[in-house]
Amino acid sequence: MKKIVLKFGGLFFVSVASGFLSYACGLNTHQALSLAIFVASIMGTLFFWEFRLSFAFLGSGLLLIAKAIDLDSFLKLTSLDVILFLAGMMIVVSLLKDAGFFAWLVALILRARNLSGKKFTFLVMVISGLLACAVDEVTSIIFMVAAILEICDYYEVTPTPFIIISVLATNIGSAATVMGNPIGILIATKASLSFEDFLLTPFPIALIALLITILIVFRWYRRAIAEFDRHIEEMKADDILLKLISVPMDRHLKTSLSVFGAMMVLIVLHRRLELLLGLTENTILLIAPMITAGVIMVWKRHKAREYVERGIEWWTLLFFMLLFAQAGTLRHTGATDVFARLFADFARNNSGGLLALVLWSSSIGSSVLDNVIVVVTYVPIIKSFFALGYGSQTFWWALLLGGCFGGNITLIGSTANIVAIGLLEKEKNIRVRFRDWFGIGLTVGLVTTLVAWALLLLKNYCCSF
Amino acid sequence: MKINEIMTKEVKTLSPDTPAVEALKRLFENKISGLPVVDAQGKLVGMFTEKDILRAILPSYVSQVGRFVYENSPKTIKCKIAKLADVKVGELMRKEVVKVSEEAPVCEVAHIMLTQNVRRVPVVDAGDRVKGIVARSDVLDQLLKG
Repeated sequence: MKKIVLKFGGLFFVSVASGFLSYACGLNTHQALSLAIFVASIMGTLFFWEFRLSFAFLGSGLLLIAKAIDLDSFLKLTSLDVILFLAGMMIVVSLLKDAGFFAWLVALILRARNLSGKKFTFLVMVISGLLACAVDEVTSIIFMVAAILEICDYYEVTPTPFIIISVLATNIGSAATVMGNPIGILIATKASLSFEDFLLTPFPIALIALLITILIVFRWYRRAIAEFDRHIEEMKADDILLKLISVPMDRHLKTSLSVFGAMMVLIVLHRRLELLLGLTENTILLIAPMITAGVIMVWKRHKAREYVERGIEWWTLLFFMLLFAQAGTLRHTGATDVFARLFADFARNNSGGLLALVLWSSSIGSSVLDNVIVVVTYVPIIKSFFALGYGSQTFWWALLLGGCFGGNITLIGSTANIVAIGLLEKEKNIRVRFRDWFGIGLTVGLVTTLVAWALLLLKNYCCSF
Repeated sequence: MKINEIMTKEVKTLSPDTPAVEALKRLFENKISGLPVVDAQGKLVGMFTEKDILRAILPSYVSQVGRFVYENSPKTIKCKIAKLADVKVGELMRKEVVKVSEEAPVCEVAHIMLTQNVRRVPVVDAGDRVKGIVARSDVLDQLLKG
C-alpha cells in the first residue's frame, strides 16, 4: 500500500512540477497543461503497467476538458491508419498461427543437419531476427522461446542463455522493416517512408548489427555453447528430436503462406503501385494488411469473429491510439516546437549533434520505457525540427534504430524481453536476474547503437555528395 | 423452480491439501470432470477439474502458439507429470468459482452455465458453505420437463 501511495505521489509531483516548470520556462498554459498530462500518462504507464489504458483514457479526457485540444483534432491525431494496419496484421498473424506456419519455421532449426552449439545459436539468432522483421517481435519471440525450451529440454541444457540470445536478435530484427515493430509503421506513416526506404537503410544496418551481435554472443556465451556441444555429443539422437515438433506442409499451410506472400508483394511494391495508380503515399502499404484480413475473413468465415475478437489486441491498440493523440496534442499546442528549439540549441544547431541526440536518447529511453512511448514522444519533436528547418530523414532512422536497439539494454527494455522472461519463469521456474541480462544487454545495446550511429553518419556523408 | 430442489445434496469434495494425483484418481473413479474444493470449515475455496491438470502439464504457451504439433510427448510434459506427485489441489485449483445460492431459479443457473461456460455449479449458503452441486444435465432435464 505504501508503495502505491509513493508511486502516486511521485506521479503527481513530477507531472505537476513538469507543468509548472515548463510554464516558468515560457510555455503557455495549454502547452504546459498538455505536457503535464502527457507526463502523468507516461508515468502512470511506467508505474502501473496493468492500468496503462486507464491512464490513457483519463489523460485524454483531461486534455479535452482543459481545452488543450478540441475533439475533432484529437480524433485526427489517433493515427487510425496505423491502428488499422496493426489490426490487419494481427488477423494475418492469427491465420498463420492456425496454419502452423511458425511451428513449421522453428522446426527448421530442429532439422538442421549436424547441429552444433554454434550452429544452433546462429540459427536461433537469424530466424529470430527474420521472423521479427516479417511479422512482429512479440509473435516472433513466443515461438522462438517455445522452440528453444523444447530443444534445450531435449538436450538437457539450461535455456536461459539461448532465450536471451533470441531476444537480442528479435529486438535488432524488429527494426529492419515496417512490420517488425509498431514504431516502424508509426515512423513510416509520420515521415512518409516506404518499405523500399526501410530496405535501403534500417534493413542493412540491422543486418550488420545482427552479424556483430552474433560474434559478441559467440564470445560471451562460449561456455553455454560448449556445454550444448557436449550434450549433443552425448545424446546424438537427432531423429527423435526431428519428431518432436512436426508440421507437415499441407494445403492449408500452403494457401495461408500464399495469402501472406501476396500481402508481402503488395507491401514490398507499394510505392511503385501507388505511383502507377496515382495514389497518395503509403496508401497501399496501409491497406495491404486490411485487404488481406478481409480476404482471410471471407475464406475463414467461421473463424472470422474469433480472429477479430481474440487475434487483435484491442487493449494495446486502444492504448496506442490515445497515446498517439496525447503526444500529437503536444505538437498541436506548439509545445514540441519549444522543445525542438531547445534541442537544436543544445546541439548547437548542428545536424550531426541532433542525430546523435535523437539516436542515443531514444536508445537509452527505450531501455527503461516501452519504445512506442519514446517514439511517440519524439515524433512531434522531429516534425518540429523540420518546421524549424533542421529536419533530416536520418533523424527518423535514428529514432527507429535507437528505439529498437535500446530495448536490448535492460530486462524491461522491450515487450519481447518481458514476454520471453515471463515464459521462462513460468515454464522452468528460472528467474533471470538483472545482472544476468545487464552485461550482455548493455554490451549489445551500446555496440549496435554505435554501429547504427556510424552507419547513419556515413549515409549522411555519402548523401551530401 | 429453485435450484435446491434439483441439486445433488450429497456432494463429494476435495481439500486444498489433497495431492493432485489422488484428486485426479477420484475424478476418474466417479467419472466426473471436476469437484469443489472446501476448507476445514466446509467453506468453498475453489474448483478442481481435469482442465486444471491439463493446464499444469502442458506448456503455458500452448494457447499462444496456435498449431504446434508434437509427434512425441516432449520431456517437459513427462517431467511435469512426474512432478504432479508433489503438487496439492490448492496449487492447481481455480480460485474464482462460479457459484449460486440455494434460492437461485433454475433458469438463472442455465443462463450462468451457458454464458460462463461451466459444466457444474456448486450451490452455497450465505456463509459460502457447499450445500449441493448442480450439473448441466440436471438443469437441462428440469427445463425439458417444463
